[in-house]
Amino acid sequence: MVLKIANWLDERVGWSGVWEAIFLRKIPKVNWFYTLGSATLFTAVNQAVTGILLTLYYVPTPDHAYDSVQYITTQIPMGWLIRGLHHWGASAMVVLTVLHMLRVILLGAYKYPREVTWFTGVFLLLIVVGFGFTGYLLPWDQKAYWGSAVGSSIAGAAPVIGEWVLRVVRGGSDLSAVTLARFYGVHVWVLPASLILLLGIHMYLVIKIGISAVPQREDEA
Amino acid sequence: MNDKKKLDRRGFLGFATWAIGGIIGAGFGIPAIAYIIAPAMRKEEEQEWIRLGSASKVELGTPTLFKTKIEKQTGWITNEEEVSVYVLTENGRDFVAMSNICTHLGCRVRWISDQDVFFCPCHNAGFAKNGDVASGPPPRPLDQYQVKEEDGQLFVLGG
Amino acid sequence: MNKQEQKEYLEQYKRDKEKGVPFYPDILFKDAVISLVIFLALAALAYFIGTPLEERANPSDTSYTPKPEWYFLFLFQLLKYFPGELEVLAVVAIPTLAIILLFFLPFLDRNSKRHPLSRPWVTVLVLGSVVGVLFLTVQSIRETPPPSEAGQGDPVAALYTENCAVCHGGTILVPEGTNLHDIIAQGTHEGMPAWSGDLTSDEIDALAGFVLSPGGNALFKEFCSACHESSELVASDPIELKMALDEGLAYAPHADVNIPEWSDAISQQERTALLNFLVAPDGQRLFATNCAQCHGRSVSFAGEEAELRLLINQGGLHLEMPPWRETLSNDQLDALAGYVTNPSDTGDGLELFTQYCASCHGDRIPTMDDFDQAREIIASGGAHETMPVWGEVLTAEQFDALVSYTLEAAQGTPLEVGQELFAQNCTICHGDFGEGGPNPARPDDIIAPISTSEYLKTRDDHTLFQITAQGQPNFGMSPFGSAYGGPLDDDQVTALVAFIRSWEADPPVDLPPEVNTSSISLSSDEVYEQLCAQCHGPDGLGDVGPSLRDPGFRTNNTPQEIFETISNGHEATPMISWGDLLSADTIQDLTDFILALEITEAGVIPQPTPGFASFAEDVMPIFEAKCVPCHGSMGGWDGTTYDAVMTTGDNAPTVIPNDVENSILAQKIIGEQTYGAIMPPAGKMTNAEIQIILDWIAAGAPDN
Repeated sequence: MVLKIANWLDERVGWSGVWEAIFLRKIPKVNWFYTLGSATLFTAVNQAVTGILLTLYYVPTPDHAYDSVQYITTQIPMGWLIRGLHHWGASAMVVLTVLHMLRVILLGAYKYPREVTWFTGVFLLLIVVGFGFTGYLLPWDQKAYWGSAVGSSIAGAAPVIGEWVLRVVRGGSDLSAVTLARFYGVHVWVLPASLILLLGIHMYLVIKIGISAVPQREDEA
Repeated sequence: MNDKKKLDRRGFLGFATWAIGGIIGAGFGIPAIAYIIAPAMRKEEEQEWIRLGSASKVELGTPTLFKTKIEKQTGWITNEEEVSVYVLTENGRDFVAMSNICTHLGCRVRWISDQDVFFCPCHNAGFAKNGDVASGPPPRPLDQYQVKEEDGQLFVLGG
Repeated sequence: MNKQEQKEYLEQYKRDKEKGVPFYPDILFKDAVISLVIFLALAALAYFIGTPLEERANPSDTSYTPKPEWYFLFLFQLLKYFPGELEVLAVVAIPTLAIILLFFLPFLDRNSKRHPLSRPWVTVLVLGSVVGVLFLTVQSIRETPPPSEAGQGDPVAALYTENCAVCHGGTILVPEGTNLHDIIAQGTHEGMPAWSGDLTSDEIDALAGFVLSPGGNALFKEFCSACHESSELVASDPIELKMALDEGLAYAPHADVNIPEWSDAISQQERTALLNFLVAPDGQRLFATNCAQCHGRSVSFAGEEAELRLLINQGGLHLEMPPWRETLSNDQLDALAGYVTNPSDTGDGLELFTQYCASCHGDRIPTMDDFDQAREIIASGGAHETMPVWGEVLTAEQFDALVSYTLEAAQGTPLEVGQELFAQNCTICHGDFGEGGPNPARPDDIIAPISTSEYLKTRDDHTLFQITAQGQPNFGMSPFGSAYGGPLDDDQVTALVAFIRSWEADPPVDLPPEVNTSSISLSSDEVYEQLCAQCHGPDGLGDVGPSLRDPGFRTNNTPQEIFETISNGHEATPMISWGDLLSADTIQDLTDFILALEITEAGVIPQPTPGFASFAEDVMPIFEAKCVPCHGSMGGWDGTTYDAVMTTGDNAPTVIPNDVENSILAQKIIGEQTYGAIMPPAGKMTNAEIQIILDWIAAGAPDN
């Protein structure tokens, strides 16, 4: 019966084709370093899941941000775990993204025919950094406030447009409720949307072209 | 033989992959559910005795309005709420405490002493002195609080 | 990589793929295992370490040491190596370049070889970057020592470690000619807070000295710290310091101390380092310690900068002293010469000195040993060398700071002077920014802010001057003007007023911090109880302010006037403007509330009963206690003598004998006449007092 429904669905949806194309494709034998990409993807999923859960209670205003984070951490069952996973996951994601990139560089995987995959990867790295920067402010504790104050003021050091950039980043010349609101907006809408788009292209290319093989050292001429 | 062994290994890996996926899924899923449903699992706040004021303020045979403030904690925010209670006594010993909220659509009722009636301005409902519906649309008498007197002070159970 | 190589690669890849394994389950299993490991690791971190949540963000707490997320630390650290102008490199140029390089990596490395060992350049570069980033990160963590352990026994170094090292590392390279004091005090440097809020001037100067001359700090610690606090010496006279170093044991205060001969112990170079450490390039302070003794605090100089530089640099010859023999008699010259040779002789000399010399010489008496010589100099006048040759004493930085301060300050009354005076005299009650606070002189009284633009708009400089000089005895504010027994002379009060006035354009606080417009959503009786009752009494019968239930109050104020008084405050009384704090609706409700208050029986007001009242024994003591503190000197009516009482005042006469009703004095004290200030501003007199005065007027206001 289950089989029958599955077949009926497959005839119309065609998932077995997708399954075969993605999961049953053959790829070269690779070592454990090649799991770094998947590991990064896993942390991205972790951030998405825990991040969405956090927004159920979090309120991005100076009046409530700190209290709501404290409420999540101390009052809600498993809140400490959700927030902990998100907090530590952020660090893990940065580390894994960089390690993944190092592997790609050292093993020459950015070369033909995977240049475009590499370009999307560089943008993804910037997005991850952006996540870290905007997310740092959200708990609205001392560390968050002053860290972000210094971090954003660094932008102001740029010549000519520095002052202007600073105002754009902070939504004014001071770190304020506006800053918190826009950091939050960027953190939960702009960056995730960009991430999904680029990650989609990145994954599509990885599956289409296939993962690079472990390079053998040619005999030097 | 060799081939079959390999197949077994693949089969095991496949099974293990699904199993690990399941573990991780549960690792996220169970805490997530606990996290989401937490507010519903929270025990209803215990009702507390709210002090209204001195029992001597209640006039014999006339509903007397007491207003008092109670603190309500919702999430991380503490609010003050006003509780208004009409207290009626016929003999100075037995008290009846009635909510001033009309049982029809929740407007506030007022005691009109000239007409001996609680009047609700929203739909012209009237309640008798003891809270029974006298006229108009309300489906039931005014809600009553449990009330007690201690050391000359009136308390109602609410929250 | 050419077409041929590309084709070869694709074929090789196809072969690899055929020899390979299916993605599911072989590879996916590995991915799953790694994911599980990561998940467990994260959960363990969350469980065992937890997620830090510090104190709630406090934007006014500049003492907090900001620290970015750990993966930005390397960038943070990089900034430390690019001070000043170069900062742009670290902030913009290097990161941008790195990202562009990274992005175009496939085009830069077009070789077909893929093995890391076959591409040494890329491999070395990348690994080098990794090591660099790790090094910077470690360095950054290492350079942020826990503040409590740092710099023990060396307060200046501790100050540095606590406040500066986080961003600046162990040492700071300062370009020549930087006014370090200003930079530290005002935080003009990018991302740097203005430290003047947290550190005292002495500490800032000590820090400036420490940064400019770390060696000097070490020397100070070694040779001086046994007897001296660094903060005590940074504030002292550079000439004294130089003398102490140059003269060694011959320097009088060091004579009895068991110290080494400095010229043996410390080299000339080291002595300079020590001086640099101690004498911070703080123009204001240098001026105060070195110039103010002769030049006073008001700096006036109208010439060019170069001229001023030359003047200060060469010292000496700039003051033309008149030949006093033309104005003074021989006896007077003798007395003066005697005074400068022996200042302890307080004969005519002191008087003459005060009269003729002090305006230039201040209280620094140019003492001389030889009477005849002194007399000759005074008599003939001309150029004489009272001003030291500062070029020999000050370092280049100090010199620059002094010149720029003098020029800046000469543009007007230096705000810094007023600011300093404010800090010394006013902040106790009015707060650092004039925001007010609890009145220490009167329990349960709140001092309203004096720095709001609203407050300053309604008071001109003259009023501020008077308030400052004469104090507000009714509110526990003592007079500050020297004419009223206070510590400040007129110039200082003017400087203070100028400083307070400087807030008007840019008020540091628009509202007192504890009051927030949005938080007031009370009914008018609650507003009255919380705000108005403080002065007008809980029942509106008056206390500090006038009774609101008085019939006179009603007849003299239309509802519109009451509304406006609440909104705009009442000039010359402590009634502040509530328009900022309360909405128009609330004020309207409040007005209605006040109008609805029951009017007190007219009988409450004492009725004049012509009887015996002595002016000298009964009336005058009341005037002296209630009126004369202001009405003796501030102009307007003068309450000090009988004649003045009867004749002075803007609307004189204020007292019409036998006619209580039309005497302004009577109207004022009863509270019927509220045009202008309500008198006394501190609240109505007692009925007994009013009765006496009314009786006295009714009896014909005799001078008895």
